Amino acid sequence: MTYFNQVFAIAGKDLRSELRTKEALNASLSFAVVILLLFSFVVDPDSEMLEQMSGGLLWMVFAFSGVLILNRGFARELPNDCLDALIASPIPGSALFFGKAIANFALIAIIEAICFPVFGILYNLTWTAQLPVLVAVSALATWAMATLGTMFGALTVNMQLRELMLPMLIYPMLIPALMSAMQLTTLLVAGQAIDSEHIVWLRVLIAFDIIFTSLAAVLVETVLVG
Amino acid sequence: MDQRNFEYMFYGLAAAWTILCLYALLLTSRGRKIQSEIDHLKRMLDSSPKK
Amino acid sequence: MRDKLIYGAGIFAALYFVRNLYVILLQLPDEAMQGAVYRIFFFHLPPYFTAVACFLGAAIASGLYLKTKNWKYDVFAVSATEVGLALAAINLVTGMIWGRQQWGIWWTWDARLTSALITWLIYLGYLMLREGIKDPSERAKNSAVLSIFAFFAVYFTYKANEWYRTQHPGPVLTIRTGKNTIDPAMQAMLFHNLGAFLLLAVVLVAVRMNLEDSQRAVESLRRRAHAIA
Repeated sequence: MTYFNQVFAIAGKDLRSELRTKEALNASLSFAVVILLLFSFVVDPDSEMLEQMSGGLLWMVFAFSGVLILNRGFARELPNDCLDALIASPIPGSALFFGKAIANFALIAIIEAICFPVFGILYNLTWTAQLPVLVAVSALATWAMATLGTMFGALTVNMQLRELMLPMLIYPMLIPALMSAMQLTTLLVAGQAIDSEHIVWLRVLIAFDIIFTSLAAVLVETVLVG
Repeated sequence: MDQRNFEYMFYGLAAAWTILCLYALLLTSRGRKIQSEIDHLKRMLDSSPKK
Repeated sequence: MRDKLIYGAGIFAALYFVRNLYVILLQLPDEAMQGAVYRIFFFHLPPYFTAVACFLGAAIASGLYLKTKNWKYDVFAVSATEVGLALAAINLVTGMIWGRQQWGIWWTWDARLTSALITWLIYLGYLMLREGIKDPSERAKNSAVLSIFAFFAVYFTYKANEWYRTQHPGPVLTIRTGKNTIDPAMQAMLFHNLGAFLLLAVVLVAVRMNLEDSQRAVESLRRRAHAIA
């Protein structure tokens, strides 16, 4: 089995088991919609303000509901000692990590794919003007959430307060990525292209992904095996 | 010394030293607690019959 | 012997601070615009540098722990992080007081302030993670990994924020600006106070390490007590 087959075997396994039960997905999705609804009380839904805040609102929703998915990533393996079996299986720790990160990425992407249209409908915004770039930016920021979330999911999986610890640890670290995603999304939802003033945010996002993905790939073996 | 804004300089320095003192106090109180726990455990281990 | 060394260094640090305070309060010239309040700066920048040094030390020690699995590095990492948090708190609070006086506000969501606060929260998370894991070797391993991540995140946050606009005063030290914009006596004082804070940090880290060693002794005694009971 090549490395990529191993990665996709893990990712496929996680996605299948999640899509069959949909336990994290349903919870996360309804949570996301509830937050979207709550934001209508924070800011006047018909005002111009909303357009200036759209990126911030959306990424708050994704960050909050994404954590519910990320929490399940490793916790899913706890019953029946599945995690020990996975670690004992003949695949490297980094393949296990990338498999799980890809599965988390796909699940959060599903949430986003549903939230964008719902947001557009509820708040009367046309958000599709820059769709390809918006998808690319969202993918970069979602990958940042997925890598850090998977890595810290592995760190906290044996803790009693795991569901509280994970957001405590990843939100502060994710701030550069989330901040860039918010700035760029606001711009793109308003239908403007990324200009020279905003290109720096794209760079932050890409640098964040590269640095933390490689750091996680190097360190995950230590976390899982010890 | 210039008397302008003297008040806030005092607050700033006082705050810095207060935090340092609080941390030092925290360290000593923790040390004392641990020491008493060590003494307690040692006494317990000495008094209990060896198996 | 070790305790005596710590006491000696502690007393020396205290005397150094007394000497520095004497110079700061009674000998240094006043800053042209700010009046007396600029003196807070000597308790603002040096603690920050010292805290960063502590966090860097903790990250290096964490890497060494993962490599060697030697407990000493783990003990050093947690001690340095905790002392760094205390010093970073001094940096934040003195900065806020200065901001209240000079800007009229306690806090502004400016790049440097924000990144300092994020740093503080990240390392607070480190201490919370340690609290939450019972098994000592897993605690050491996981927190070492977190410490390395944290340092990268802090550096990244700092850089990312630098590209953003800032109302915080720019660098003043001659090595950073390349010009003589700061009074030499004030710059010398900054380095003196940095020295005093570094020495203080060494003392505090050493004390905290002793504490961690005693904590480990308690844990092993408890295990023995359990085995007998």
